[in-house]
Amino acid sequence: MPDAMHDRLKALAESARAEITKAQNAQQLEQLKGRFLGKKGELSAILGAMGKLPADERKAIGEIANKVKGELEGLLEAATARLEDAALEDELKGPKLDITLPGRAAAFGRRHPVSQTLEDIVRVFSRLGFEVYAGPEIELDWYNFEALNVPADHPARDMQDTFYVDAGWLKKGAGPVVLRTHTSPVQIRTMLAHKPPLRGVMPGRVYRKDSDQTHTPMFHQVEGLLVDEQVTFAELKGTLAAFARAFFGASTKTRFRPSFFPFTEPSAEVDVSCVFCAGKGCRVCKQTGWLEVLGSGMVHPNVFKHADYDPTKVTGFAFGMGVERLAMLRYGIDDLRTMFENDARFLAQF
Amino acid sequence: MRISLKWLKDYVALPASVDELASRLTMAGLEIEAIDQPARALEGVVVAQIAASDKHPNADKLSVTKIDWGGGAALQVVCGAKNYKVGDKVPLATVGTKLPNGVEIKQAALRGVESAGMLCSSKELGLSDESSGLLILPADAKVGQPIAQALGLDDVIFTVNVTPNRADALSHLGIAREISTLFDVPLTKPTPRLAESSTRASTKIAIRIEDAERCWRYAARVIEGVTVKPSPQWMQDRLKAAGMRGINNLVDITNYVLLEYGQPLHAFDLDRIGGAQIVVRTAKGGETLTTLDGKERQLQADDLLICDKDTPLVLAGVMGGASSEVTEKTTRVLLECACFQPTTVRRSAKRHALHTESSHRFERGTDINVIPEVLDRTAALIVELAGGTVLEGRVDAYPAPKPPRQVTLRTQKVADVLGVTVPGAECHRILTRLGFTKVSGDEQVATFAVPTVRVDVSIEEDLVEEIARVRGFDAIPEALPRGLSELEPERPAMRVERLLRAAMAGQGVDEVVNYSFVSPAELAAFSAGKDAIAVSNPLSVEQSVMRTTLFPSLVQNVLRASRHQTQGVRFYEWARSYRPDESGGQGTVPVAKETLELAGVLWGMRHGTRTWTSKDAEADYFDARAVVESALEALHIDGVTAETFESPWYHPRSATVLRKGQKVLGTLGELHPRVMKKLDAPPGIVLFQLDVEALQSVAVLVPQARPLSKFPAVLRDLAVVVAAEMQSEAVRQVILEVGQPLVEDAQVFDVYAGHQVGTGRKNLAFALRYRSPERTLTDAEVTEAHTKIVAEVTRRLGGALRT
Repeated sequence: MPDAMHDRLKALAESARAEITKAQNAQQLEQLKGRFLGKKGELSAILGAMGKLPADERKAIGEIANKVKGELEGLLEAATARLEDAALEDELKGPKLDITLPGRAAAFGRRHPVSQTLEDIVRVFSRLGFEVYAGPEIELDWYNFEALNVPADHPARDMQDTFYVDAGWLKKGAGPVVLRTHTSPVQIRTMLAHKPPLRGVMPGRVYRKDSDQTHTPMFHQVEGLLVDEQVTFAELKGTLAAFARAFFGASTKTRFRPSFFPFTEPSAEVDVSCVFCAGKGCRVCKQTGWLEVLGSGMVHPNVFKHADYDPTKVTGFAFGMGVERLAMLRYGIDDLRTMFENDARFLAQF
Repeated sequence: MRISLKWLKDYVALPASVDELASRLTMAGLEIEAIDQPARALEGVVVAQIAASDKHPNADKLSVTKIDWGGGAALQVVCGAKNYKVGDKVPLATVGTKLPNGVEIKQAALRGVESAGMLCSSKELGLSDESSGLLILPADAKVGQPIAQALGLDDVIFTVNVTPNRADALSHLGIAREISTLFDVPLTKPTPRLAESSTRASTKIAIRIEDAERCWRYAARVIEGVTVKPSPQWMQDRLKAAGMRGINNLVDITNYVLLEYGQPLHAFDLDRIGGAQIVVRTAKGGETLTTLDGKERQLQADDLLICDKDTPLVLAGVMGGASSEVTEKTTRVLLECACFQPTTVRRSAKRHALHTESSHRFERGTDINVIPEVLDRTAALIVELAGGTVLEGRVDAYPAPKPPRQVTLRTQKVADVLGVTVPGAECHRILTRLGFTKVSGDEQVATFAVPTVRVDVSIEEDLVEEIARVRGFDAIPEALPRGLSELEPERPAMRVERLLRAAMAGQGVDEVVNYSFVSPAELAAFSAGKDAIAVSNPLSVEQSVMRTTLFPSLVQNVLRASRHQTQGVRFYEWARSYRPDESGGQGTVPVAKETLELAGVLWGMRHGTRTWTSKDAEADYFDARAVVESALEALHIDGVTAETFESPWYHPRSATVLRKGQKVLGTLGELHPRVMKKLDAPPGIVLFQLDVEALQSVAVLVPQARPLSKFPAVLRDLAVVVAAEMQSEAVRQVILEVGQPLVEDAQVFDVYAGHQVGTGRKNLAFALRYRSPERTLTDAEVTEAHTKIVAEVTRRLGGALRT
């Protein structure tokens, strides 16, 4: 009897081994598992008959049965793994996606090149500790001109063609109202609102009555102002040279030329080495090797007086730059007017 | 201003290199904008003489010439022109020359005959647009001389950008003075010698200044017996070089001295001055003056005039009048040389829209003390070129003589401003070279008299600038500003801008930048023109009113896109709208209310074009809604309510106003069909606008972390059929209210209207999330809560549970 059971187990193991190895898919394996190891399976049937055996034999057969069970389970597992692996192999060899199709449409909104440039300029000055200040675009003549040492009837007014606004809603005596011709009036407003020391940049829209290939009636400027005790022209030079290197690249050279702005004394135009030819001379720099990008100077004492700062106690420097000009140089845009046409094909390039 | 270098050489020795001269002047503040050097284009072209001319053996139209050219053996040159004779002097372009028209001259055989150069026409030399045949030169031209020299084209003309402060540099002598300082070379001024007659000028003319505030000095000389005729060629050439035109010798001489000294002059026909007197006064009511340009001008009360006994002769400092101008018949000349208040001249020039060489200089300020010198110089030139005699003395009305200003310079101040030490001796040397005279003081502190030609110098900083610019800004070192004393926290406005722009980028909305002004019609189409601020002197009507809303520009952007076959746009603009502020202009209050807006437009294909994943998706109201929601999310603004409202801009079916509590944050909706029609805009435009300041006031810029529930959520769906016009938010609010505290969230996931739910009805499906922060919910309590919600929704909103 025990031998008979032993033989049956042995036979079962043998046939199971053969069947499992032959199995072609997961379904067959599942069937085999039921047939051999299930509750009503062949192993159970054999074990069911074990109760009739004496205790000691039962133990010996039980050990063999467990061994067979363990072996079959292992085989089934390995076969499952083998089949899964084979299926995966098949899938990996299967048809490929059309990976040349574009991605499912997802959006990325682009900023206008002027606003990108403006942000880049401001970011450079932030690193030097300049705060951002803002002021109105529709401005009293006093802030735009008088307080900046440009009295009425001064020829310096010809430097900026001005749009005027008929501000009939204002109380009498407010004086003429203009669309600000530069961001410089924000200097005055900022100084009136903050005590020195002060370092700030003032970006924004400005307006001039001018329209041709190189002028639009509206454009953007970034103004800068640094006021403290004993600020020098050397610091003005150092700051703007550092800006030029940070904005245009580390090898950029700067050149400071005496010039005239009513609100600074001394005043300087700042040229940078041409970004297109590295100073060798080309069409863009008109063969000079230099590009004019900035106006600057030491704040005029009259400006301090208008802003309630004491010019015997503080000095400072101020500068201003046209954002569109820098954007054109940076992105190689050759017609200023395209900036404001807002053609989708243009905007998509930046 | 055009400056002739040939002319400059009368006063100062120039450096050999034109480029070096230009660079030094530029780096000292007199920017040379252009260098016009006609001789450069004519290099290689010389004066040659035709020694012989024979017919070309192989071509009827050509000749073979022998040319003497001063450079060795005679050359054989083939020529096509016929307008010469043997012995004529003509321009020869030698081999290797590149002509202004781009032709390069090579040694070549023309129809079998060698030709070593080319005889030129004036057109080929770039001197005229048309020409027939060779340019025949004067018989006295020197063979071998460069053609530029022979034609008087060897001058170099600088175009100088003179800034408004540098009135002193608006003349050849002014530029020469600058060169003399920069290169430390002497300046030679004209030294007129006058042989005056014994008749005193004051017996022929009386001068009375009635308005000494506007006329600071008026001086004159009288010259009798002059002959009016053309001025000599050299003078006409110089005037032409400087951009003026020759008229007659008297006018040319006054212009010449103007260009020489920067001092305007005027020549009257003395016989046409009534009452032998000059009266300087302002205009009387109703007076008119016909100026030299032939226009009759209505004079205003503060126009300053030069008059005779009765009538205006000249608009002072601006333009002369026709009645007293010199003519061919003139024999007696009154020569005026004056100094006027700059603002008076500027106002008159502006009022009469007359910008002249004279007004340009007077309004910037002229040298009041150079007047006698200039009068003498001019009188001497008149005698030299027009004959006649100068009467004795100047008639000079100078009511309040102006002594030179005095300015004190502390040497330490130079170092304080520039950041580099400049020794006192060097500072003083520079100022002296510029014509300043030391009045008193030592190396540390000294007082200087300012030359009266330097009307721009009045304070110590001006002296520092002079020293800095003459030394050159390159001599000042570069230094970064000293350390910061404080670092302020980032301004909320900056953070808000960054977050909102990131939201726009994330939503695929591109930024546009439009002009702040639009046409009144565009604003009117949006019924937004009332109270709009108008520009009083616009460039065009299209740019004449300040935007009260950004929408007109954004719709224009769509129009442009649709014209260019763009299939869809998503645009936003970050800009201000403008309205009058009644309380503006007082103190530091801005004159207008400028509202920073984030406004946008969506139109056409959702993704700008058809895509294979969503073929025909067109943007609609809910796309704009998504953009707005992402802006709100970026700023962590919760609890925003959306309500419909009446608006002239939006379609009534979708006009939406967004509020947080009472505060309006913005609006959105489809473009109103009537506005669409008025603007001829394509259908499908959706607009939104957000008030950035309002957003900032309710933004949570630094959100605080909340603990996450450890317990699982239970998800249940709820579908309810309600009236078609019922707003889903009303249903959602009931769900959230009734479901408290277990319903954590409810989101619409389906909206269906169709015959299955009956006409006038729609099905709304919500996904509910139940959760407790304290325990795992049991199925039973969720079911109980869900049943209660269903019951309430049905009861309150007349809905029916969808089965």
